[in-house]
Amino acid sequence: MINLEIIPFMIVSLIMIISSILVVKAKDVVHCAFACVVSMLSVAGFYVLLNAQFMAVVQILVYVGGIGVMILFAVMLTGRGQEVE
Amino acid sequence: MIIYDEIMYWLVLIFAESHPYSDWIRGILGGLVIGAVFGGALVMVYLERKFLGDIQSRIGPNRVGGRYGVLQLIADAIKLFTKEDIIPANADKWLFIGAPIVALTSGFLMVAVLPFDYLLINGSYYAVNVTRMDISILYLEAVSGLAVFAIFMAGWGSGSKYSMLGGFRNIAKMIGYEIPLGISIISVAIMAQSLDIVEIVEAQDFLWNIIIHPLAFIVFGICLIADVGRIPFDQTESEEEIIAGWATEYSGMRWGLAFFAEYLHAVVGSFMVALIFLGGWNGLPIVGNLYIPGIFWLIIKTIMVIMFFIWTRAALPRYRIDQVVDLGWKCLLPLSLLCLVWSTIIGLVFG
Repeated sequence: MINLEIIPFMIVSLIMIISSILVVKAKDVVHCAFACVVSMLSVAGFYVLLNAQFMAVVQILVYVGGIGVMILFAVMLTGRGQEVE
Repeated sequence: MIIYDEIMYWLVLIFAESHPYSDWIRGILGGLVIGAVFGGALVMVYLERKFLGDIQSRIGPNRVGGRYGVLQLIADAIKLFTKEDIIPANADKWLFIGAPIVALTSGFLMVAVLPFDYLLINGSYYAVNVTRMDISILYLEAVSGLAVFAIFMAGWGSGSKYSMLGGFRNIAKMIGYEIPLGISIISVAIMAQSLDIVEIVEAQDFLWNIIIHPLAFIVFGICLIADVGRIPFDQTESEEEIIAGWATEYSGMRWGLAFFAEYLHAVVGSFMVALIFLGGWNGLPIVGNLYIPGIFWLIIKTIMVIMFFIWTRAALPRYRIDQVVDLGWKCLLPLSLLCLVWSTIIGLVFG
């Protein structure tokens, strides 16, 4: 019998891998920033799966709520439509 | 009495987490709680329209559903559902569609750790909530921060200047207000010596935190109104300057969901104020519960906080965005640090 914990682990890792690829590959810089936020959130998901709730919450507070917002704050100052066609 | 004993037996099994189906039953409880908070948000919308009408010497909704317009909200919902769902040609489709979903997700995640009552079963106490966490108050703070992304997604994804201004304003405001919000919560947690919201409520069974620590209540209240984005701080969607801000391009039920997420946030925020500062399910200070079940006390307090929110909306004008950012950094942040000092002193003297 397989361990049922592998299912949420697979889902979270899939989300994390896809979003991490998108951080590098996405065309729009805002999409990159949001993909970065999603990959940080899925790291919090890993912490929850490892029964480390405090780490998960701090991950969300610091990386998503702090650094993610700062990245978006920087992106919002760059303006839209400046990328080379 | 046999039925009563049976119910108590089941409650012990569920909330003491010794039952094999405990997780499933808690899941069902979670569904019920989400429904209840949804209902609470509906009640808040109705109360707001009626109460605002009273304050402004109007009648408010009075056509649908009898003299008091009780069914007005259902009529509004039908109207929203039948409207055309427009996605602007200039929009960033993924962000535009995702924004209301993220907003609602943030609200629903917050509901998961809210405790509602405290049951005395066989001489020991059990909290009624969906998930018992050691760090529930940090969790609430972290998850409520996700709503910032929703508004930014809506603002950026709409592809309109007004929406983008709304989203920018939201981020500029929230960077300043999340910090005092967090510090004022932490200063209360220091007094209770726990990050668990259940233990913070337990610590208030004699005196409420608003009496011991009024400064933290003021800072938390102001930051919460800014966090939820209600009127003295609703620069993100000010109708007169930037035409509803981030919500400009939304129509139909997408707008309805975003709007509803905001009210959900406000209801959960009022629950947080009632739990953290107004004693939660404990009755009046010193006197105690007066034989009324705790959940009624909690609901009464929550409704009072909601009424306070609506009253501030009617009574106060909207600030300019630079004034709001100034208030956050120059006034609320030092005050919240003072809160931390105050709670440390109380902890040292009486702790």
